[in-house]
Amino acid sequence: MSDIPGSDELTVARFYKILGSKLELVPVDLETGFTNLVRSPDISRPGMALTGYIQHFLHERIQIFGETEITYLNSLSDSEREFALGRIFETPIYCSIVTKGLPAPSELIAYSRSSDSALFLSTRDTTPLIHDLTDLLDEVFAPRTSVYGSLVEVFGIGLLVTGKSAIGKSESVLGLLERGHRLIADDRVFISRIRGILVGRGDSRMGHLMEIRGLGLVEVSNFYGIRAVKERQQVQFEVRLEQWSQDNQEFDRTGLVQKVNNILDISIPQTVIPVLPGRNLTLLLEIAVMNHLLVRQGRNIPREIEDNLINRILDKETDQERRTDMTGG
Amino acid sequence: MTTKMVEVINQLGIHARPAAKIVRNASMFDSHITLTVDGDTVNAKSIMGVMTLAACRGTMIEVQADGDDEREAVAGIVQLVLDGFGED
Repeated sequence: MSDIPGSDELTVARFYKILGSKLELVPVDLETGFTNLVRSPDISRPGMALTGYIQHFLHERIQIFGETEITYLNSLSDSEREFALGRIFETPIYCSIVTKGLPAPSELIAYSRSSDSALFLSTRDTTPLIHDLTDLLDEVFAPRTSVYGSLVEVFGIGLLVTGKSAIGKSESVLGLLERGHRLIADDRVFISRIRGILVGRGDSRMGHLMEIRGLGLVEVSNFYGIRAVKERQQVQFEVRLEQWSQDNQEFDRTGLVQKVNNILDISIPQTVIPVLPGRNLTLLLEIAVMNHLLVRQGRNIPREIEDNLINRILDKETDQERRTDMTGG
Repeated sequence: MTTKMVEVINQLGIHARPAAKIVRNASMFDSHITLTVDGDTVNAKSIMGVMTLAACRGTMIEVQADGDDEREAVAGIVQLVLDGFGED
């Protein structure tokens, strides 16, 4: 699925190429309507419109002719059927699917041809077909962006490693793969928001390539095999690597501050790790993820330490006051 | 060597957040900086060290620095404490 195009370029031809086999689509005419654009991830059941209520007919969606529509059309006389279909084809319809292996009425074929509208037959049942269709189209129409960084699955968590170029992202990621974690993408991560979660993937045409300075391009699965690579992964946590400098002391010393980064309007927790020569970044990334796992389970260790410390300080103060009172009195 | 005494005035004393502020501030200087409470001396650039002081309100802290920027270092940390670390 990683070669799903952006919504601005989804022609019926591409739609058929990508989803045709999954949805078991057979075009009535190969080519007819194939240059039309799919404009919406939603579908329409034209039943009501066929009976005459065309005020809210959603012609810009893919039309699904299920058993209801087809049996209704077959119950009509030839002229009524001609009229019912003619009325909905007065608005531009770009694509229709007849499900359940039902035969398409000849009038539907004729109107599709004359208005250059694609028409597919599918042997699949209507409801599961609609579910798969909207699932897949949701993905195609999902808002997307790309982030410079690497996406690795570490202990089951989708870790996005970001930071300026040459800061050591790729090297530390290579270390993670060495330790059994899995690479989704290096250098450029394509992220889409699908039903409220962020899904990241790499460029499928590039494979799982990494550029290691001094070595050039390496293909990760050649070294570590299939276990080291993954096609897609939810993006759940970000570590930003930052150059350490004495003037920049802005990073968190306690772990009490939970930063977040906003990607496509979804906030993900972010930790900033300063990079110094000699720091084992791979180890730090693993620890950061384990910390994140603890927080997800409701354990916030720095918070617990802070609460303990505050209690100790307050107890101490009470003790001191008591002592002062005793000596004073 | 520069030394100055300062009293903790904020309600919760030097818990983790103020400790982090001290450490962040101290780390910007080259001087070796220490905090001493009741004979207990810790490195001002170590968060764990500063936290172990568990200094409550009313505690007197001796801030000491040694190095090229010792005056600025001591002044900076004393100011932080006097400002109550921006807390109540």
